[in-house]
Amino acid sequence: MKRLSSLLLLIILFGCTEPYLLQTSDFEEALVIEATITNELKKQQIKVSKTYRLEENGPAFVENADVTVEDDLGNVYQFIEGDEIYESENAFEAIPGRTYKLTIVTNGKVYTSTQETLTAINPIEDVEVRDLTISGVRGAEIKVKSFDPTNSSKYYRYEFEETYKIIAPKWCPYTVTVDYSTKELIYTPRTYEARTCYSTVKSNELLLHSTTNLSEDRVDFKVRFIPVDNPIIMHRYSILVKQYIQNLESYTYYNTLKTISGSDGILSQNQPGFFSGNITCTTNPNEKVVGFFDVSSVSSQRIFFNFEDVFPSTLQPGYFYDCYDNCLELDPFACPGVYNYCFDITPGTSCRGNIVESFLNATPQTYLFYSGPNPVYIVPQPCGDCTIFSSNVVPPFWY
Amino acid sequence: MKNALFIFLFLFQIVVFSQTKKDSITISFENETISQSLKKLEEKQAVSFYFDEKWLEAEKKTITEDFKNATLENILSALFMNTSLNYFIDNNKIILTQNRIVYDYFVDNYFKTTTKNSNSGENSTIQNKNDISNFDKDIIYIGKQKKGNSSSKHTISGFIKNIETDESIKNVKIKVYNKNIETTTDDRGFYSLEIPTGTHIIVVETINAKGNNKKIYISENGTLDFNISQKTIGIKEIIITNKIQQKIKTSVVGATTIDLENMKNVPVLLGEQDVFKIATIMPGIKTTGEGSSGLNVRGGNADQNLILVDDISLYNPFHFLGFFSSVNPYSLKSVTIYKGSIPVEYGGRLSSVIDLKTKKPVSTKLSGEGGIGPVTSNLFVNVPVVKNKSAIIAGFRATYSDWILKSLKDEQLKKSSASFYDFFTKYNHEINKNNSIQASLYYSDDKFKITSDSLFNYNNRLLGINWEHKFSSKMSSQLLINNSDYKYGVDYSNKIDNKLSFKSGFNINETNAQLKFENKLNNKFTVNYGLSTKLYKINPGYLNPKEASSLIVPIDLINERALESSVYLKTEAKLTEKLLINIGGRYTTFSYLGANTQRIYESGLPKNDATLIETKEYKNNEVIQQYSGFEPRVSARYMLTNSLSTKIGYDKTYQYIHLLSTNTTQTPTDIWKLSDINVKPQIGEQFSIGFYKNLNEIYEISLEGYTKKSKNILDYKTGANIVLSNKIETELLQGQGKSYGVELLIKKNTGKLNGWIAYTYSRSFLKLDSQYSDERVNNGAYFASNFDKPHDFNSVLNYKLTKRYSFSVNFVYQTGRPITYPIGKYTYANSEYTLYSDRNKFRIPDYYRVDFSFNIEGSHKIKKLAHSFWNISVYNLLGRNNPYSIYFISDNGQVKGFKTSIFAIPIPTITYNFKF
Repeated sequence: MKRLSSLLLLIILFGCTEPYLLQTSDFEEALVIEATITNELKKQQIKVSKTYRLEENGPAFVENADVTVEDDLGNVYQFIEGDEIYESENAFEAIPGRTYKLTIVTNGKVYTSTQETLTAINPIEDVEVRDLTISGVRGAEIKVKSFDPTNSSKYYRYEFEETYKIIAPKWCPYTVTVDYSTKELIYTPRTYEARTCYSTVKSNELLLHSTTNLSEDRVDFKVRFIPVDNPIIMHRYSILVKQYIQNLESYTYYNTLKTISGSDGILSQNQPGFFSGNITCTTNPNEKVVGFFDVSSVSSQRIFFNFEDVFPSTLQPGYFYDCYDNCLELDPFACPGVYNYCFDITPGTSCRGNIVESFLNATPQTYLFYSGPNPVYIVPQPCGDCTIFSSNVVPPFWY
Repeated sequence: MKNALFIFLFLFQIVVFSQTKKDSITISFENETISQSLKKLEEKQAVSFYFDEKWLEAEKKTITEDFKNATLENILSALFMNTSLNYFIDNNKIILTQNRIVYDYFVDNYFKTTTKNSNSGENSTIQNKNDISNFDKDIIYIGKQKKGNSSSKHTISGFIKNIETDESIKNVKIKVYNKNIETTTDDRGFYSLEIPTGTHIIVVETINAKGNNKKIYISENGTLDFNISQKTIGIKEIIITNKIQQKIKTSVVGATTIDLENMKNVPVLLGEQDVFKIATIMPGIKTTGEGSSGLNVRGGNADQNLILVDDISLYNPFHFLGFFSSVNPYSLKSVTIYKGSIPVEYGGRLSSVIDLKTKKPVSTKLSGEGGIGPVTSNLFVNVPVVKNKSAIIAGFRATYSDWILKSLKDEQLKKSSASFYDFFTKYNHEINKNNSIQASLYYSDDKFKITSDSLFNYNNRLLGINWEHKFSSKMSSQLLINNSDYKYGVDYSNKIDNKLSFKSGFNINETNAQLKFENKLNNKFTVNYGLSTKLYKINPGYLNPKEASSLIVPIDLINERALESSVYLKTEAKLTEKLLINIGGRYTTFSYLGANTQRIYESGLPKNDATLIETKEYKNNEVIQQYSGFEPRVSARYMLTNSLSTKIGYDKTYQYIHLLSTNTTQTPTDIWKLSDINVKPQIGEQFSIGFYKNLNEIYEISLEGYTKKSKNILDYKTGANIVLSNKIETELLQGQGKSYGVELLIKKNTGKLNGWIAYTYSRSFLKLDSQYSDERVNNGAYFASNFDKPHDFNSVLNYKLTKRYSFSVNFVYQTGRPITYPIGKYTYANSEYTLYSDRNKFRIPDYYRVDFSFNIEGSHKIKKLAHSFWNISVYNLLGRNNPYSIYFISDNGQVKGFKTSIFAIPIPTITYNFKF
C-alpha cells in the first residue's frame, strides 16, 4: 500500500512531461524589422528578415526590399542592400525635434512605422568595474552610470561589445612535424601571430533599465558580471557599453519581448501571445509585423582593465581549454600529452614515438608540439594557437 | 403503522335515555370534572358520549355553572372551552375528539379514497353525519373546532425532518391535495400553509419518499410536523437528487444540487470524494484542466464564483494545487450551485454561487463517519451536548503524503513535500422553538515544496455565528456575522547565501454581517429582504529578507480596504396555478477606503508611466472611489403541462474583487485585488431559459440555454508582471466577455440502473480592444477564452447488482482547451525569439476519460458496530494520456514543445469508509 501510494504521489507531483511535436503546418510567415536610427552620424543600418519555421535555423534575410526613412522636412534617406543588412546610402544622424518614418516595400506590400522623434540626449557618465561577490560568486561587476538632470530619459536599453586578449599558454615559436624516415623532429618557424589574439563578442540579451520608480533619473545599472574564473578576463579586457535612450513605447516593446521568452514551472505558465510594435502593413492591416522602429539617442563608453587591476593578488582564471596543466603524477609519462619520444616496439616499452608522429603529421593538426625533443609535450591545438577560436588582428581601439 | 394511535380503540359507550338535542336543557354543575359532567348530562338527557377515557383523565378542568334552557351545544361548548376536546353531535350520539395532536402517519396511496371528501370538505362547518365516515383512524385534527369560523382560513405550519437523522429537510414541496395551495420548506425545513376550514390531505412531495400524506381536519391555526423516512430509498441509488418536482416547479433557472449522501458511488481520484470534481461532471461547470484549481461556470472566470461554506466566503477551496477540494465531504450536507437565477441574498460574484451547507448537529445521538484512503484519512463525529438542545459536529482530514515522500529513497522526492489538513466544527444550540444559534469554525492548511529551496504555504480560516429567529409561523429572520481569512506565504531559503533568503506573502480578510428576513404574506406571496455589509482588508503582498544585512529591499505594499454594502428585496408570487414569478433586486455600493495612494492617469490613454499625472494620498477611512449598482434578478416559471414546465430568468451581477493570475489556471499564489480608481468593477448580465420535463417520475430531463454578456473582465498585457507590483493597473486590461450555451441533462433516479447523462454546448469569448496596440489582443476581435470547450459530455451510470454490490462508470469527453501556439521563430537583437499565434487560436487535443468503481456495502445486519463501505475505483481506466498543458521553452536558441499529463496511467484506489 505504501509503495502504491508513493507511486501515486510521484505521478501527482511530477506529472508526466514529454516532448510535444510542434505542428509546423501552422507556420505563419511574418516580416521582422529591426530598425534603430541614432543621433550618431554614420551609415544607419536596418535589418529586414522573415520569421522561420521552428525546426529551421537562422533567419531568412529579405532581399530586394525598398527601405527608406523619411523625415518631416521631406528628406528621404534611401537604404541599400548590403550583406544581410540594409545600410543608408549616405551617413546621417537623427536630429532632435524632427520626426522620422520608416517605409519598407517588399513583395508588393507596404510596411510603415508610426512617426518617431529622437529621444532625449543623455550621454553615459561612466562605466565602472569592481570586485564583487554575488550569491557566493566572486566576479567583476561592470556598471554603467548615467544621470539626466532634466528627468526625461527614464528608459534605457544597453548593448555591449566586449573584447578580450587571449594568450595561448602553450605557444611555441615553431610548428613541428616528424620526418618519416629519420623520425627527427622538423622545426618550422610560425608564419603568423598565433600567441596573442583578441576576441570580440556582442551582447545577446536585452538589457533594459528604467528609472521611473526613482526620484531622479540616475542610472547605476549592472550590464555585465564576469565570474572571477572566466578566462575572458585572464589578461586584459575591454567593454564598449552603448546606451540607447528609449521612449516608453519602444521600452515596452523590448520589455515584453524579454519577459515573454522566459518560461515558468510545469504546472503554471504565462499567457504568451503575439504583440505588435509600431510598424504595420498598410496593405493588409491584419498581417503580423514583428519589430520596432526606434529613433534613439545613443552614447557609448569603453573601458579597459587587467585582471590584477580588479583582483589584485588573486589566482588567475585558467585557459579556455584544458592544456594538460596541473598533472600530479610522479611518472611524467603518465601525464596526458607527455610522451617518451623513441620507437622501440618490444612489448612493455615506454616508447610512444609513433603516437607523437601520428599527432604531428596529421593534416590538419589537432594537437600541437609544445616542447621536446624528449619527452615530447603535445597539447590540444587551441593551447598553442589562439587563432583557432579567436583573431590575431589587434583591434584599432586596443591599447 | 406502529406509531399510529387508534383513537377509537378504547371507546366508551354509555347509553342513556334519549332526548332530542334541540330541547332546552337545564342543568347545573358544581366544581365537577368533565367526566362527572358528562355522566350527569347523559343521565339527564338521552345522549350518549363516545370518547376515550384517557382524554378525560388528562383534562383537569372543573366546571361550576348553571344552565337554564340552554341548548346542548351551549352546554358542550362551555364544558369543553379551554380544553383539548371537541365534539360532534349526531342526533343523540355525541362523539368527542381530541385535537392538536401530531402524529407521524403514512398513508399509502391515499389519493383515490379521499378525493371525494377533500372536495366537499372546504365548506364544511361542524361535521355532519355524512362526514362521520371520515373520522377514521387516520385523521389528524388541527385546532379546536368552533362553530362560526367556517369561512375563515387557518395557518398550519411545522417542520419536515428526516426521521433517521433528525435533520430538517429544506426545499421540500408541501401542498394541499387537489387545492391550489402549496409551499416549500425553507432552510430550516419549516413550512407554513394557509388552508380553509375542513378536511384536507397534506402531501409532502419528495421523490424518494413518495406519499408522505396526512389527512387533517383543520379549524384553527396549528402545527403539524412531518418526519419523513428515507428508508425507502436504496442506499446507493442516486448521486444527485434534484428533487424532480422541485426542479420543475421552482422558478430557479440553472441551479444544480448535489446530494452528498450518495456521492460515494461516483468513481473518484485516489479515493477522495470531492464536491467540485462532481460538480464538473454536471452541465455548465468546467475546469481548465485536470487537477487545476478554479471552476469555470458558464464561461466565467474562476474568480467569478462565490463559494460559501455555511454562508461564509471561502477564498481558496482547493488542496494540493487543485487536486482535491479543501472542504471535507463528510462535513457537508448539500451543495447547490446557482449558475443562473442567483438568489438576491447573494452577490459580489459574476458567474455563480456555490452554496456549501454543512450537516446540522443532531442532538439526539452520537454518530460518526470516517474514511481511510491512500492519500488521506477522514473522520467526522456528531456529539450531542444537551439532549434535544445542542450538539456539536467536527470533521478532520489530513494527508500522510509527507511521510511517504520522506520515506522514499529518491533524493529529489525526499526534498519535496506536500501536506494538508482541514478541520471543521459547528455547534448548534436550540434556545427554544423560535431561536437557535450556530457557530462554525473552519480551517484548512496546505504546505508544499517542489524545489528544495522554496516552501509554499496557504490557509483558509473561516468563523461565523448564525442566529435564526422565528417571529411567527410566517416570518423568520437570520443574523449572520462571519469572517474569512486567506493567506499564502513563500519561504525561500538560499542555501548558498542566506542574504538572498526571503519570506513573501499575501493576505485577504473579509468580515461580513448579514440580516435576512423571510415573510410569507399569504399563499401567493412570499417576500425576502435583507441587508449585508462586508469589510475587505487585503495585504497585496510583502517581501522581507530573512537577514537584516540582506541586499534584498523589503517590500510591503499598502493594505487595501473597502466596504461593500447591499440591500435586497425579492417577492415570489404565484399568480396562477401555472405561473410563478420571482421579482427581486439587489443594490450594492462599494467604497474603496483609505489610507492608500492612488495613481491618477490621463483619461482615455493607456495607463503607464508616461500618462501618469500624479500619485494621490488618501487619509484613513477616506472614500477613495465609490461604485454602486442595481442588480435586477427576475425569473418566472410556467407549467405547460403537469410534468412539463418552462422558465426564464434574467440577472445582473456586480463584482468588486478580482483574482489576478497570469496563469491559465488558478494557483494558490494568485492575488485578489479590489476595484479602485483604476480597476473598474466587473458587470455581468445573464438571460436564461429552460425546459423541465418529468417523465413518469423516473426520468428527469432538463434543457437550459443561456446567453451572457459581461464588462470589465480582467486580462493582462502580454508578459505582465503582477507580483508585488504597486502599479498593477498598468499591467491590466479590462475587456468584454460574451458566452452562450445549451445544457442538456437526463437523469434517471430510480431503478437498478441509474445515473445521468449531461451534454453541454457552450462558447466563451473575450474581447480586448483599444486604440493603442499594447492594450489590444487579437486586433481587438473576440477570441475564445482559456476555458472555451464547446463540447462537453459526461455520463455517470450506476448499476446495482444486489443490495450490497454495485458498480459505477464515468465517462468524460471535452473539447481541448484553446492555446496560444508558437508559429515560428525570428531573430531580433542578436537573439532568437518565438513568434506566437493570435491568442488562443489553437486547441490542445480533446480530453476523454473513463473511470470505474465497484462498491461493496457492509452487511445489512441491524446490530453491528459500524456500517462499513468499501470502494474500489480505477481513475482513467483507459490510461489515456490527456494533455494537461502544452508549453514551449526557448532553450539554447531552440524552441521546444512539451506536453504535461497529470494522470497518464490508470490509477487504482481502495478506500474504506465507515459510519456509526
